[in-house]
Amino acid sequence: MNTNSAQSRFTSIFSGVSRYALWSLLTIFTLGPIYWMFVVSSRSPVEVYDKPNLVIDSFYTENYAKVFQDRVVRNYMVNSLIVATTNAILVTVLALFATYALTRWKLKGSDSIFFWTITNRMAPPAAFILPNFLIFTQVVKFDDFMLFDSKIGLILIYCLFNLPFAIWLLKGMLEGIPLELDEAALVDRASRMQVLFKIIVPLAAPGLAITFILTWVFAWNEYLLAASLSSSSARTITTRLAEYVTTTGTNYGELAAVAIIATLPAIIFLTFIQKYIVTGLTFGAVKE
Amino acid sequence: MNKSHSNRLGWILLSPSLLILGIAGLAPFFYVIYVGTHSWNVFSKERGKVFVGIQNYRDLVFDSAFLGTLSRTLLFSFLVVTIELILGFILALSLMKDFKAKTFFRTVYVLPVVVAPIAVGATWRLMMAQGHGPIPFFLNKFFGWDFNTGASTTQAWIAILLMDIWHWTPFVTLTLLAGLLAIPKEPVEAASVDGANRFQMYRFLILPMLLPVILITVFIRVMDSLRSMEDVYMLTNGGPGSSTTFVGLHIFRTVFAKQEYGYGSSMSLLVLYFTIVICWLLFNALTGKESKRTV
Amino acid sequence: MLNIRNRRGLALASVVSSLALVLSACSSSSDSGSASGDDAWFAEAAEKLECKGKTLKGVTENTPPGQYVKSDIIPAFEAATGMKVDLETTSWDEMYSKAINDMEAKTGIYDFVYIEQDIIYQYLKNNYLANITQTINENADLKAPSFDLGKFTSFIDNFKDANGDVYGIPMEAFVKVYLYRTDLFNDPAIQESFKAKYKRDLVPAKNYKEYKEIAEFFTEYGKGKDLWGTTVQAVTGHPASFYELFESILPTNGVYNWGINNGKATSANGGSMDSKAAKDVFAFWVGLLKQAPPESKQSTWTEVGTTFAAGRAAQGWVYGENVAWIATDASKSKVVGKVGVTLPPLGNPQVLEDAKSGKGYLGYYDGGAFGVPATSNNINCSILFQQYHGQESVQAKWAAAGSRIVMESTYSDPIVQEMDAKTNGYYTHMKEQGPLYRGAPPYPFHSAVREVIAPFIYDAIAGKISTSDALDKAAKAADAEMKKLGY
Repeated sequence: MNTNSAQSRFTSIFSGVSRYALWSLLTIFTLGPIYWMFVVSSRSPVEVYDKPNLVIDSFYTENYAKVFQDRVVRNYMVNSLIVATTNAILVTVLALFATYALTRWKLKGSDSIFFWTITNRMAPPAAFILPNFLIFTQVVKFDDFMLFDSKIGLILIYCLFNLPFAIWLLKGMLEGIPLELDEAALVDRASRMQVLFKIIVPLAAPGLAITFILTWVFAWNEYLLAASLSSSSARTITTRLAEYVTTTGTNYGELAAVAIIATLPAIIFLTFIQKYIVTGLTFGAVKE
Repeated sequence: MNKSHSNRLGWILLSPSLLILGIAGLAPFFYVIYVGTHSWNVFSKERGKVFVGIQNYRDLVFDSAFLGTLSRTLLFSFLVVTIELILGFILALSLMKDFKAKTFFRTVYVLPVVVAPIAVGATWRLMMAQGHGPIPFFLNKFFGWDFNTGASTTQAWIAILLMDIWHWTPFVTLTLLAGLLAIPKEPVEAASVDGANRFQMYRFLILPMLLPVILITVFIRVMDSLRSMEDVYMLTNGGPGSSTTFVGLHIFRTVFAKQEYGYGSSMSLLVLYFTIVICWLLFNALTGKESKRTV
Repeated sequence: MLNIRNRRGLALASVVSSLALVLSACSSSSDSGSASGDDAWFAEAAEKLECKGKTLKGVTENTPPGQYVKSDIIPAFEAATGMKVDLETTSWDEMYSKAINDMEAKTGIYDFVYIEQDIIYQYLKNNYLANITQTINENADLKAPSFDLGKFTSFIDNFKDANGDVYGIPMEAFVKVYLYRTDLFNDPAIQESFKAKYKRDLVPAKNYKEYKEIAEFFTEYGKGKDLWGTTVQAVTGHPASFYELFESILPTNGVYNWGINNGKATSANGGSMDSKAAKDVFAFWVGLLKQAPPESKQSTWTEVGTTFAAGRAAQGWVYGENVAWIATDASKSKVVGKVGVTLPPLGNPQVLEDAKSGKGYLGYYDGGAFGVPATSNNINCSILFQQYHGQESVQAKWAAAGSRIVMESTYSDPIVQEMDAKTNGYYTHMKEQGPLYRGAPPYPFHSAVREVIAPFIYDAIAGKISTSDALDKAAKAADAEMKKLGY
């Protein structure tokens, strides 16, 4: 990244010691809650409710042991993995097609359509639980199968908030890819689909990666729909977190252990992909 | 080029998305509109739905509890988005130049975005709890302050603001950073050669070029903060009293706790309408700036 | 003198036998059929009723009793009958929304649901549940010899209709008692100090004045020791505070059934929600916040339990389901063996008379049952399961796991007697004084009215309005809501 010149002179406002101080403080602020979550996961219930101690003196392994031995937690993790990954792939592909259409064709009402897709993500979810429940249990029903408590059901319903988000994200990125490239290829007798796969996709790859990651994270972390529309076979790991809040006391130690385990896949993803984040977001203009 | 032929392909590519969103989104939406015109409490003496037309909406306009949650939500949204925008901008600026360990700092900084909202709420609740939470404990120990989010409205607000800032500023920072990096260098060079000072540079050049990205970020954050529920719910339960009860939680309680499906549906639609209006204004400001070319 | 071949054989044999031991241990844990009742009959019945191979779906709260059902009772039932039981243990509001959505929309997803004692009336009014008594009577094959409705405690009366037919089989019941710290109350130095100040012995309070004095004394004593004089379940923003006030506190001053009389709450209309008695005791209760730990304004029943277990309170109203683990579980409680149980303090002696005669009551009898939705597709098979968990032989271990008692005979079981000793007589108290407590009143408008009253309670706790104002406004709002709902 070329950072000398007027631009960097005018835009960088911290330097040297003050910058390190700023970012060190930020790191403490960012890691603080996560560190506390970890500390809590190392404590027995009686210790959790004791005076706060910032140091881990002894590690109560019961919390993690219980979580690992719990067949249910493993099932839930697998469900989450399947649902999040499938949904992210589905959404990214569909959004790619949709934004390709929106940016390369002059379709009637495309602005309104684009805005309408976002509105799906705007409503407070509570009142929509009942109609979704009805659709899942009554409308889509063949023999023994119904959408309720199925992974397919969750994958489809998650499109409701992930697809608009992906379309919004990708549209900006595809708009950043000059139409001249399309035109040149079309003049050379390429088909539209060839242009999509041979020209657009490679250039938009970082953007596609970032879309995939973010939609994956949103699907992984979703709670309300997963809880209301699943029963036992399609439960995700986030629903498990809510189950720890019981009437006889929240076992925060175990909850923290599950929360950490539930966050790990996302953190792993993040570290591998993080170099694409900025590249992706700058619409490919800047390489890291 | 055969326009109608190529338009067909465009529609074909667009249709799967429209189909899914249409089925998953429109059907429930119409159902909610339908229920919103009824009074439907599962446990009222008269079972079932009673058609009341727009009475629900009339009641909502005078419902002080609902209006209270609405104004609180707007205030929260405004505070949160403004603070995150300013902080995010400053931090994005500081990330523009390379420095040692920058990658490490940035990676760590982005972590909060991937934690599930319900876990975020639970963690912050634990940190703020009386007796065993480190924050009240150390605030008292070192400063003698009494920090009780269950007793003081101001402190509860501080807590939820901190939590939201912790959770979402990284997202804002990254999008702003992307926008900053995409600013072409030539105009900046030219202006600098012309003797522009820092203030003029920002006011007339950098911020205007950054506007689309700022608007997109504000758009997304406003939308999400207007419907958020799980994290605030876990942290304060809407308390003390109803001072942190926002629209999302209020609707949740109306539908699930009070079993008022009709009223809750109309409430939901009213809030949706509100959000659409706000976002439409932002959206128009955004698309006004883009050129529209197609092949 | 073992040569190599023999040694290898011996090694092999010991490996095989230890494997066999491990495997049999694993399988015997799921083969607990021998531990819980008349499995042979149930196996036969499952065949006759064509239930074998079917899957029952249930939903309940994630609590120790609910978890015991999942971990012990269901595996035994499955092994005996060849049926499968899928029990969801979820959070309180999720459980309700799923159960109600299912029964209201008649989608037939659940074959049994948890019914809390306070919502049964709403369910009965909407004809959500199957009539268990009648169904069993109409089908000779369905009647389990090891199941006897008469053996349950009077708690089962909450789940009967006007004809005495049963719609839910109790699975948990507790009383919300006056819990106090025996180590503090029995400490000679503390007793002396108390006597010197108040001129009477330090014993659990019998009335509000005594209770307040004890609370003040211990708050003073506990300064710097992380100890306060009382717990208060005063969370603002969650109905738990409403529940403590209306279910446990108001009755002690003679305000029964929420102060609602014939669908009217205001005194003007014949109710007593805004009566002097109600206002007095409400003021007393809110006043206790001065002697309560700082987390009280965020405390639901859960936090009250953990506050007590962390040793932060000298006394308080605590739900029975928490009493057991507070008194016995060292991994969760710092006051194991240090708690005592007794009747709550009363506003006046008439209340005790009312409770004894049945005219009133002095505290809350909590609990729940499993009921069968009328829309279930497997009513008979589900009822088999209800009878299974309702067998006498299943009760004792369940009591130990979840500190719940729904059957008279369980009190005399040695396991329960042992626990009784450890909790300084909680189970004895429940057995002998249980009749003085009562569950929620039979109101089909329970949740709706609660939601309109609660905000005023929260405001009074937060100090925004006076307790007197709060009850005035609450009573008016309650009347308006009941009228709106058609009652």
